[in-house]
Amino acid sequence: MTTPAIEFKEVTKVYRRRLAGQEVPALTHVSFEVGAGEVCAFLGPNGAGKTTSINILMGFLYADYGKISVLGYEPGDVRAKQKTGFVPENFAFYKHLNAEKLLRFHLALAGGDMTKSIGLIRDLLFKVQLQGYEKLKIGKYSRGMVQRLGIAQALLSDPQLLLLDEPTSGLDPAGRKEVKELIHTMKGEGKTIFLSSHILSEVEQICDRAIIIDKGRLVRMGSLNELLGTGDHVEILANGLSPEVEAALVEWGATIERGPNSVRITVPVTRKRELVEKLWASGFDLLSMNPVRSSLEELYLKLIGTGVPV
Amino acid sequence: MKIWKIAQNTFGTFLRDRLLIIFGVLFICTVLLMMTPLLVAKAMAKVGSAAQAQGMILGMVSSIMFFVSGTGSLLAAWCAASSVANEIKSGTILAVMARPVKRWEFLLGKYAGVILLMSVYVVMMFGLSWLLAWIGGERIQSTPWVLLAYPMVRYAVYGAVAMALVTVLHPVLTIGIIFIMAVVALIVEPTGQAVTGYWNDLRLPLWIILPSTSLLSEDRFLAITHASLKQVGALEHLTVLTYGLDYALVLLLIAMWSFHYRSLTRD
Repeated sequence: MTTPAIEFKEVTKVYRRRLAGQEVPALTHVSFEVGAGEVCAFLGPNGAGKTTSINILMGFLYADYGKISVLGYEPGDVRAKQKTGFVPENFAFYKHLNAEKLLRFHLALAGGDMTKSIGLIRDLLFKVQLQGYEKLKIGKYSRGMVQRLGIAQALLSDPQLLLLDEPTSGLDPAGRKEVKELIHTMKGEGKTIFLSSHILSEVEQICDRAIIIDKGRLVRMGSLNELLGTGDHVEILANGLSPEVEAALVEWGATIERGPNSVRITVPVTRKRELVEKLWASGFDLLSMNPVRSSLEELYLKLIGTGVPV
Repeated sequence: MKIWKIAQNTFGTFLRDRLLIIFGVLFICTVLLMMTPLLVAKAMAKVGSAAQAQGMILGMVSSIMFFVSGTGSLLAAWCAASSVANEIKSGTILAVMARPVKRWEFLLGKYAGVILLMSVYVVMMFGLSWLLAWIGGERIQSTPWVLLAYPMVRYAVYGAVAMALVTVLHPVLTIGIIFIMAVVALIVEPTGQAVTGYWNDLRLPLWIILPSTSLLSEDRFLAITHASLKQVGALEHLTVLTYGLDYALVLLLIAMWSFHYRSLTRD
């Protein structure tokens, strides 16, 4: 059995304000695993506990209870960090440095080969579309540029595991598209990616699995197919519909929407073949056929706030 | 390598710290103002004996350097406290600690950055003491290494105290506590006068616990005139400096231990 890239077992974390005598539970018995090579989304509203979980994984915070492992090591272990790339939410850099100096600083901390630093840094800056800005002080960068630089530094030591906390925050649509493509490339290279994001349409396109938390509790997790369903209905677009087929469709419980040049029919997947044959028999043609499944956004909105545990 | 890189970066951050730049400018202005009585003393010395003049001018240099040196202690404490606190407050620590860097390595790197800055300060202070003596028409009698090593060790002590405190406290509170500690350490310093009661029982433990660095103060060497120059033995130097280094080391180890268990986020 292969070791999961991330293991989070019964993790509990409470923030304590000792002077005020307050206790704020951030995570309550949260358990999940992320397998090697997976792209897993970590979803939840603001204050759900996503950043706390990621900070615990990186060893920045200690959990009060639970077992955590990152690439088979304790969180914060240098052997795990050697193979991990991390982009925090609202990335902060030393503003007096420029991109080149910052990446060289990080490469030195990562124990990288400094003799190859020039080529490596140039390639990374090209990858994140920051070529030409190497000598500009980071203090003069826009938020999107800082975020892209954050991604570049995360890729510096060719990590096995990438932890991305809101990697597209502050990016314009073009920047978001670039990040999405970068994640696709890294997925192709077999890297494990664990990312939190609010942009669910993008998550749906790039992730294999999703974990949804709310108020510090796990709400739902699974592969996108498990979460969204493989589609028990199909949507068929035809160039017309005879009255007798329409009558049969009403009997099957299908929904029909008539457009100017086409008819959109949604039927149970078990009736798919029958409908197609009826359409062809009555002289109409099939324009397209797609499985119907709910979107991640629909599922998310349905789950969040209900407080239904897994 | 990692510790050295963090130290270099910390030093670079200090050089661009606006608060420190403002402090530097104000400090230079104050020192220039303090030079006026020195020039007055030089003019007055012309009417007295040579030995009196030497004593008066070196005493004056010593007073100015007491202020400069004392400010250095607070500067070391402030830099140590703010260097760690600012990293956490700004969130820059997250990117650094995401690298294969251990927490103690990070803290040691920050501390080494403070020591680098204070080395520059000590060299400048050394130059200033010679300049002041030269302006007064005299020369410093003490050996140069003493004027470099003693303040360096004292700043190492203050930097370590600040590092230990800032791992659990706000930096402003840290500086406040250090200031009070320094004042109390001066008060409890043994004077040879008999003191009775609870205060006497409390005095020695406080003297041992607090950063009682008056022994590490180099201005006692500055006040020495050629006529009263006393040879301080190597063993005395070694004992005093070892006390300081040991104190700094213990505090630094406490800081590392405390930093290991604290949260690195702003929450």
